[in-house]
Amino acid sequence: MKRREFVRSVGRTAALAVGADLLGLAPPLSSQLLIPMDESQSDHLKAYGVTYRVVQAGIKAEWLLNYRGGSFLLPDGPAIRRDAALVGVSVEPVEDARVTAIRGEIEASNMDAVPLEKAPKVAVYVPPNVPPWDDAVTMALQYAGIQFDKVWDFEVLGGKLAGYDWLHLHHEDFTGQFSKFYLIYAGQPWLAEMVRFNADAAKQLGAATVPDLKKAVARRIREYVGNGGFLFAMCTATETLDLALAAERVDIAAVFADGTPMDPQADAKLDWSKALAFTGAHVEPSPQIASFSDIDGHQVNAPARRQPLGAFKLFNFSAKIDPVPTLLVQNHRQVIPDFYGLTTSFLRTRLKPSDIVLADEEGAPWVKYINGNHGKGTWTFFGGHDPEDQQHQIGDPPTDLSLHPHSPGYRLILNNVLFPAAKKRELKT
Amino acid sequence: MALLAARSLPAQAIGQGFELERSGQYEQAAAIYLATLRAEPTNISALLGLERVLPPLNRLGELLPVAQRAAAANPSNVALRGVLLRTYVALNEPDSARALALEWARAAPRDEAPYREWAMALEDAHRHAAARDVLLAGRRALGRAGAFGIEMAELSQLSGDWEGAAREWAAALTDAPVQLPNAASALGEAPDGQREHIARLLTDGTPSPLARRLAGELLLGWGQPLRGWAVFEPSVATPSADAAFAARRFADLAGGRNTPEARRVRALALARYADLSPPGGVAARARADAARAFIEAGDQVAARAVLERVAQDSNAPPDAQRLAQRAVVEALIEGGKRDEAGRQLASNARLSADDRASLRLRLARASMLAGELDRAEAELARDSSVETIALRGWIALYRGRLSDAHRLFLAAGPYAGDRRDATERTEMVALLQQLPGDSYPALGGALLLLAQGDSVRAAAALRLAAGRLATGGGGEGSGWPDLLLLAGRVAARLDTAQQRSALQVFDEVVRAAGQGAAAPAAELEWARLLERRAETAEAIRHLEHLILTYPGSAVVPEARRELERAKGAIPRS
Repeated sequence: MKRREFVRSVGRTAALAVGADLLGLAPPLSSQLLIPMDESQSDHLKAYGVTYRVVQAGIKAEWLLNYRGGSFLLPDGPAIRRDAALVGVSVEPVEDARVTAIRGEIEASNMDAVPLEKAPKVAVYVPPNVPPWDDAVTMALQYAGIQFDKVWDFEVLGGKLAGYDWLHLHHEDFTGQFSKFYLIYAGQPWLAEMVRFNADAAKQLGAATVPDLKKAVARRIREYVGNGGFLFAMCTATETLDLALAAERVDIAAVFADGTPMDPQADAKLDWSKALAFTGAHVEPSPQIASFSDIDGHQVNAPARRQPLGAFKLFNFSAKIDPVPTLLVQNHRQVIPDFYGLTTSFLRTRLKPSDIVLADEEGAPWVKYINGNHGKGTWTFFGGHDPEDQQHQIGDPPTDLSLHPHSPGYRLILNNVLFPAAKKRELKT
Repeated sequence: MALLAARSLPAQAIGQGFELERSGQYEQAAAIYLATLRAEPTNISALLGLERVLPPLNRLGELLPVAQRAAAANPSNVALRGVLLRTYVALNEPDSARALALEWARAAPRDEAPYREWAMALEDAHRHAAARDVLLAGRRALGRAGAFGIEMAELSQLSGDWEGAAREWAAALTDAPVQLPNAASALGEAPDGQREHIARLLTDGTPSPLARRLAGELLLGWGQPLRGWAVFEPSVATPSADAAFAARRFADLAGGRNTPEARRVRALALARYADLSPPGGVAARARADAARAFIEAGDQVAARAVLERVAQDSNAPPDAQRLAQRAVVEALIEGGKRDEAGRQLASNARLSADDRASLRLRLARASMLAGELDRAEAELARDSSVETIALRGWIALYRGRLSDAHRLFLAAGPYAGDRRDATERTEMVALLQQLPGDSYPALGGALLLLAQGDSVRAAAALRLAAGRLATGGGGEGSGWPDLLLLAGRVAARLDTAQQRSALQVFDEVVRAAGQGAAAPAAELEWARLLERRAETAEAIRHLEHLILTYPGSAVVPEARRELERAKGAIPRS
């Protein structure tokens, strides 16, 4: 959408807006608008949407890293003010003199200003049928008003990822074992449908088994990152994507998934050089244990190993030297309550040395949020399922984000969405 | 003494193992259990402990030699055999499992245990088809067609064969009627598409009483109480202790569902339960409860008929009689027989003082809603409770005595009635604060019509009352926009013609109320009505206008939420 279309789209009720002007309600325009992202912001999550739509309309914005919780600076204009007012986002008109003062403060402190110039085209990997769980990223995007497309195996293997700047994975099991749900949910119609649906897809796409199909999809996703894509994964997708990549030529799927038992020597045969984030992990050999490997520190569905939830702390990076990790941890809270997912966290001992840890639990053997590069692209893994539902169960109602407009956990997701919009030459790491 | 000490050592050790297991230290617990078995190879607690802790440690293989040694040491011990059989299955050694199970079956040819243990172990390993084959083989070997019905039902359910599960449960109930709640609970989980098939399967032909009870409970749980009762009722036609228990259970289950049909069914089941119970306290109390349920279901005639039975029951204890007398007066009030209710309240000595006070309040409220304001006030004459103050406030309001109503509502505060009552009074106080003058009988009459449920006439009367205020020289501050907004709100919930009138009313309020609170509130109602009429684009336009025009209004957060809903951005839960 170009600038003219943006102005048109947000000005649909022009007659009424003019009415407001006539009543003397429209404030005079200033030089710029600051969207504060500290505690004074009335809706942190929708603020990302306002900024995204501005950038999408071809208007330049700036992300003021570490300035009042990672604020946004936009040019002032009635359409932008209107958009912010409608969605309940606090904005502060700022005159040139104050902008200069802000820039001075940024220059003198651990802060930086990153231009945002191109709205990323977003794809979310989700099965076409409706799974009985919700995806935090889809909900965050919908709540913030950021457009996205849905892709699945057909699109990924059909080469459609090249058309997107940003790809999100969530609750997918790339080992092809249907998240080992049969241990708990055997007989459930949705599980039978999931198995049937995936088996049909494998047949149509020429894969011998569902695990083979998912491995092929995982390789395409790695290629996508290698070619410059941004990958953001949460929950099971993080761990199983890397397991599928490392197990390119090894059977790590239980007999119920592909008709053959797992290779008993699987651990020794895994090739971790092909994985993005992890190395040296042990695959769970028992089909009776709802766990994929020892990458996850919390093991939520394996009662003997399950670890309690704590809180994770975001690292404070140097904004001018490390703008990428700084950008990914912009938040108004530094310590955030942890939340479970089928994969909740990542053991430190299983991380590749090149991984950047963005958040961890102090004193614990696991980390929560990591980032790294592969080829020309970048990946970010965030453990857990839903930042505002600590123990989300299948069948639970979806989280209503209008009740959590300040969610620091969801902010981390939205940081990742805007990340590809940042002007590349400014990103030093 | 020495012998005692020696025997207590393993017991102490295994207790330590349990503690370690409870705290999640499985490695250490396993070491204790193994040590216990070295000293006492047939210690079943230690074997069962190992069976629990070794699988999560991926060390199940270590259980096999100790289980084999234990079974060999005491071949007739069923528990030890069971552990060994389960271990074979868990380790995927089907030949050994088969050999052991068949040997066990040969040793105990009339016993179901070998087949059951074998099948359950296979089921735990998610090998449902193999488990089913074992149970069918057991049936053939034992020569009992009804054997393993419950296990077969569970397996059918796990494989999605709900009709098969229903068939097995129905057959199993013949030998084990106490399993009825389990059958109803298991089949109650059936997906929507399977429910009708199950109901038909259980009721086709001449179903047994137990099949009828199962089908009745299922239909009740699936939201078809009347059909459920029709299916269930013949199974409790013949008096017996079993029938009485079933009727009571059905009544209790119906009590968990809050629909008029379920309330009626509960009443019918309680009345039947009373008929099936011996004369006396239980029957009388059940009838009193049945009468209440009939009243709640709106069937005063049936309620009175049941209560007459209590009155005639000379064996009924005083508390049951008291319940019945209270229910009689309630039925009279609900049935509009206020004179008779008043007489009962004045003369019936079997009513308790508490019952009398609460019934008098209820009668006063009923009189007030019938427009008998003098009579309602008279009923409250000797009462100074906070509930009475609130009710007097409403009576004053309906008389049009605005300042009296305002004073009484403030005096009652939030303490009378439930939260909804308190909210209603607060809303009314807010409206009264906008209105000039102490008295406005036309408004009182309009609000009484509203309380009586005559919304069409109430909306018209409220518009008229608002119009009189406006033409009486009232500006924005005279409260007429607030009154007109109330008229619009009432009309918006009525038929299409009234809704059109509501749209005009909201338009008028928005245009006339300026920056007063009524304007944004009217625009919000306007948008909500448009949404209900599926005019979503127009609703969005109004919501956006509201948010942008009245940014300081208290209704802006609500408007934003409506806007999200209109745009489909709020997830459906």
